[in-house]
Amino acid sequence: MNDETLILYYLDDGLSEAERRKIAAALGSDPALASQYAALCRDLDLLNAVDDAEVPAHVVQRMHDSIDRVARPVLVDTTPQSRTFNPLSFIWGAAVTAALAIGIGIGVYFSGETMPAQQDRGAPFVRGMQVYLQDARDDITTMSTTGTDERARLVMHLVEQNRLFERAARQNDSADLARVLRAFEPILLKLASEDVTPVEAEALRAQLAFELNVMLTKLSRASSNETQTT
Amino acid sequence: MTLRSRIIFALLALVATTNGWAQADSQTPTENEALKLAALEALIAAPPERALPLATKVLAGKHSDEVKARALFVLSQIDDPAAQQQLLAVAEQNGGRLRAEAIRMVGIGGNPEALARLGDLYRSGDRTTKSAVLEAYVIADNTRGIYDIAATATDESEFENAVEMLAALGARDELRMLRDKAGLSRSLIYAYGISGDVESLRELAMDSSNPEQQAQAVEALGITGKNNIGATLAEIYQGTQSQLVRDAALQGLIIAGDDEVVLQLYRQSQDVSEKRQLMQVLAATGSDLMLEVIDDALADDQ
Repeated sequence: MNDETLILYYLDDGLSEAERRKIAAALGSDPALASQYAALCRDLDLLNAVDDAEVPAHVVQRMHDSIDRVARPVLVDTTPQSRTFNPLSFIWGAAVTAALAIGIGIGVYFSGETMPAQQDRGAPFVRGMQVYLQDARDDITTMSTTGTDERARLVMHLVEQNRLFERAARQNDSADLARVLRAFEPILLKLASEDVTPVEAEALRAQLAFELNVMLTKLSRASSNETQTT
Repeated sequence: MTLRSRIIFALLALVATTNGWAQADSQTPTENEALKLAALEALIAAPPERALPLATKVLAGKHSDEVKARALFVLSQIDDPAAQQQLLAVAEQNGGRLRAEAIRMVGIGGNPEALARLGDLYRSGDRTTKSAVLEAYVIADNTRGIYDIAATATDESEFENAVEMLAALGARDELRMLRDKAGLSRSLIYAYGISGDVESLRELAMDSSNPEQQAQAVEALGITGKNNIGATLAEIYQGTQSQLVRDAALQGLIIAGDDEVVLQLYRQSQDVSEKRQLMQVLAATGSDLMLEVIDDALADDQ
């Protein structure tokens, strides 16, 4: 009996009643299998914490997509799709991001004087940061890694926005976020470099996309926790 | 299959490499890798006390550097001192890309004790390690750490690299302290310019005891880009007898992009060769005021 079947048994998911009865019987009669299952349960108990966390909708969708992709390698058409950068979408994205950053700046400026004390001063900042990270992630994942000039132009725009939001993070006393944004910059600058090969560009892009996704998930989780506690 | 099951499967694939029940061989390495990365991405959604042992397990397992590097980033985002210790341990016990990534993550973590330990790695490390430590200090905005590196630098390029970083961070106090510690150098003077330290530069620009250093300071005043710096440079230009310093003042005006002041100097000058030089400066900067100079020159001919 393979581990996947045992995991489904543990999770009470995807097995018919007859299959479950068969596994229960096997566990009762086969000490080796019972021991294997016990070890599996220990690891699964550790992982159970994942179920406690409220996973944001976009992460759920991405997880489904990623896992489906690797689970169905044969069925999926693996012809590489050409990644094209839509300048219009970028301009709109940049405009929205700039507006948000200005909004955050204004929020910071006025927060000390006009905002009611009980209002959550950090919320506009967090929302703005989430939009920025999403836009940056989308730009990074759809960017072409072969066209050097186009890539450099887009990345340099991202660098400018990144600096804007790094400043906003510092002004909002979010030193943690500011450090992460500062850490993005050397990667972005490498990505903009003419010397970087398509393979290296792809690796840098993957790294950035991963780190942006992790930050998005972390921010979503933090803001949903805050909402639950208030 | 529910999302819970999907995530569980993904995480299991990630930590299973060293376990007997792993099904790692059933997938091609690329697909397996993608699954592990997806699992690591999801790990940040777990509470720190659960995510930490899993990320640590990945680092101890037989995974590619890419997977381990992603685990390092997840660790950097776990709010637990043990995560910072883990990052430091990877930086100290590994080499190459993984060490550089771990050092970057210590910078992102920003833990003062871990950052201080990077100083030891810098001293004993190769060029890549040194560069990674400096980058981590910039990420953490740790100007004191960079100052220590500059103050104890054993060669000029190490000193210059550290000074450039301090300049980029606008660390004027540390740069001034370096003047007392290591003496003045061209790189330090330009760092004053980048950090916008007009006060230090003005003092150096007025000191004619060392014309070469004075010229460097005058030029660096242009780098500061501060308001009214053109007037200061014009004052220096007109007040000095040293051709070196005059040229530096013009260079400073070009860098500052203050064509109004250059035009003023042009109009005040009675020396034809000097006027020609100032005209060339305006032409070099592509200034629209060049047309006014041409007008003036043609008017003189009539």
